[in-house]
Amino acid sequence: MKTKQLLLITSLTTALCSASSLADEGMLRDGKIGYVMTDLFWSVYQTEDASQECPRGFNDGPREQFEELFPYHEGLSVEETQLKQEIETWHPSTEPDGFEFLEVEGELSWGLNLDGEVGPNDFRHPDGTPGIDNEVYRAVGCVIGFRGPDGVEYIFQNKAIVDERYNRMMIELSGVESLDNDDAVTVTVYRGMDRLLTDATGSKVMPGGTQRVDRRWGESLIREVNARIVEGKLITEPMTDMVIPWQNLRVPSIQLIRDARLVLDLTETNATGLLAGYADVDTWYYQLIRNDSTHHLSNGQISGISLYKALRRLADAYPDSETGDNTAISTALDIKMTQVFITHPKPLGGD
Amino acid sequence: MPPGFRVEATAEGPVFADGNGKTLYTWPQHKLRNGYSGEAKGTPGCYDEVLTVTAGLMSPYPPGIKLPEIESRLSCMQLWPPVLAEAGAEEVGDWTIVERRDGSLQWAYDEQPLYTSIRDKQAGDVIGGTRRRYGGDSPAMRVPAGPPTLHPPGFAVRLTSVGRMLTTDKNAAVYSFDGDTANSSACQGECLTNWHPVLAPALARSQGEWTLLERSAGNRQWVFRGKPLYTYELDQSSWSQQGSDNPGWQNVFTQRAPGYPDSFSVQPTLSGDVLADSAGKTIYRYNCGEDSADQLACDHPDDTQVYRLAMCGGGRAEKCLEYWPYVIAGDDEVSPNRTWTIVSIDPTTGKFAEPGQEGALRVWAYRDRPVYTFAGDKRPGEVNGGGTGEWRGQRNGLRAFWLRDDYMGGIL
Repeated sequence: MKTKQLLLITSLTTALCSASSLADEGMLRDGKIGYVMTDLFWSVYQTEDASQECPRGFNDGPREQFEELFPYHEGLSVEETQLKQEIETWHPSTEPDGFEFLEVEGELSWGLNLDGEVGPNDFRHPDGTPGIDNEVYRAVGCVIGFRGPDGVEYIFQNKAIVDERYNRMMIELSGVESLDNDDAVTVTVYRGMDRLLTDATGSKVMPGGTQRVDRRWGESLIREVNARIVEGKLITEPMTDMVIPWQNLRVPSIQLIRDARLVLDLTETNATGLLAGYADVDTWYYQLIRNDSTHHLSNGQISGISLYKALRRLADAYPDSETGDNTAISTALDIKMTQVFITHPKPLGGD
Repeated sequence: MPPGFRVEATAEGPVFADGNGKTLYTWPQHKLRNGYSGEAKGTPGCYDEVLTVTAGLMSPYPPGIKLPEIESRLSCMQLWPPVLAEAGAEEVGDWTIVERRDGSLQWAYDEQPLYTSIRDKQAGDVIGGTRRRYGGDSPAMRVPAGPPTLHPPGFAVRLTSVGRMLTTDKNAAVYSFDGDTANSSACQGECLTNWHPVLAPALARSQGEWTLLERSAGNRQWVFRGKPLYTYELDQSSWSQQGSDNPGWQNVFTQRAPGYPDSFSVQPTLSGDVLADSAGKTIYRYNCGEDSADQLACDHPDDTQVYRLAMCGGGRAEKCLEYWPYVIAGDDEVSPNRTWTIVSIDPTTGKFAEPGQEGALRVWAYRDRPVYTFAGDKRPGEVNGGGTGEWRGQRNGLRAFWLRDDYMGGIL
């Protein structure tokens, strides 16, 4: 027994020494450091009682709308009720649905000034910065499912970021001389293919893990962009089109963000901040409803039917060349990342 | 097994069949959002009653809504004739006899009442139901009954879209290596870092297609059909195919799925491989089960088309053809097997066309159900239509035809 204890102590000491050496060496090696995404939320600025942003309350969801539309459903058919609503969900239109949609009415929002202008529809950042573009927030801010800490989308879409390897987005910074200030670094976006390193509870993602770059299926997700680090904040240039793999309930799907940019506070172990740009409206909507059925949406009082109309109404960029209707909507996502060592397997079929 | 029954070889493996070769099915109990459907063991629940309203077993829609096309709707028993036992029939092993409400006797296997399907036309058909894994939000499915798979303890066989995959009983994929033989393993030394021989317990003995390879004194590795078996260290999920990316290594199947049409292709996506048409467009299957107490399927051309038309075209057949076109078979193409067939469809109704009907489409069908592409997929490898419809395409909607998934936890 004593021998076993001695062996255990020796092993633990060795492991601790190794961990200590790792920390001494630092996470920034050869001018490179990697981070893996652990949290991703649609940015929703919330006051305690929602009185500032949603003074008239929250939107109804599918259950409430169904009851209002079909109070005597027992005399009606599936086609007249359930399928009618599902058709509206899957073949959405911009025509009014008879329900008032409650948009955010407050002046404050998280996000970035994407277009460099200050307009009448823009929000003001809580730090006072004007010109914040975040129309997705205007659409979803008064929908319970998108609000923290217990909205159904807030919980489950984010939970999937950790649980589903499909969503394993990473960034690798290269050419880094300092994480405090560096006027020229390169940021490469990859997808990893491994489970995350967590603590013993399994719930907290730890720095120091390893991720292999997915070169088998994830090649089309790779992006490279120039960036700078200013007082510990990483600021990338816009990426023309960033594709975020984001499946929630195992329906492979994506978000497409145009002019996507990252603004992240960096440490050796974490990167925290915003991902902002213009979300393709249809991609945004179908990513939501393909992963979450009407049942799931109901739990967050999310009417896909009403929300689609709001998204289209509030879309503010990338007009369609034929119709002139905007196809993209400004947005921001809260993002948290944890340091990870990124390895680069050779692509299949050659080097 | 009792007299009058037999075992048929099918695309889904060996199944029990009646004297005419018709596959026998069970309807296992299945937990849905607001209650259970299917049959508890020993309790027949499929009778000659035409149900008229929804059961409200799925959320968020309430029960009591009128089901479509009630005038022509069939009863559960018309679609699923019970396998009746004659007076004096005797139970044998797992084959037992249960009493129906009208006093008639019905055969059961493992206490699950047995049925045939009117969708099956000839011996070996498994059109009525499937052994494929289905999730909690899928309908309570009918499942072909059959003899247990012959394998040693510690293994399992899972039906996937590419075949009956051999795994460990923990669902880890097992692999074989080209360089191995029944009596020798080329995987030694560094190879063993990522490849772990599936070891047999001390009491294991060779039997049939299963033999043993002694790698070292006391270490015996299972061998199946002449190839030693391994698991792969870097597999990230159950029923993985990742190990097969290594040259010379492949997953092990007890039976391969019937081949798809020659004109089809396989396309890589962000998540794995999908089956695609000749132009590389992803192929989708339509799934449908009603929210009725008898959970009848609505995914077949002989079923009501109300649900499908709602999803694919907002209730309009012409829009379905635009958004979700059928996969048209070439004039010179023929059905390669009973799983992939060419059927004639009336495009205005979605039903099977009458023989010689003008305007009928000659389309590809999987298990007698047409397959589709999606207009929203613009390039090969896109799966933008996957999960369309109710319950992520599981109950009234469309799902991509996956041949390999590296990220969905074994959805095959």
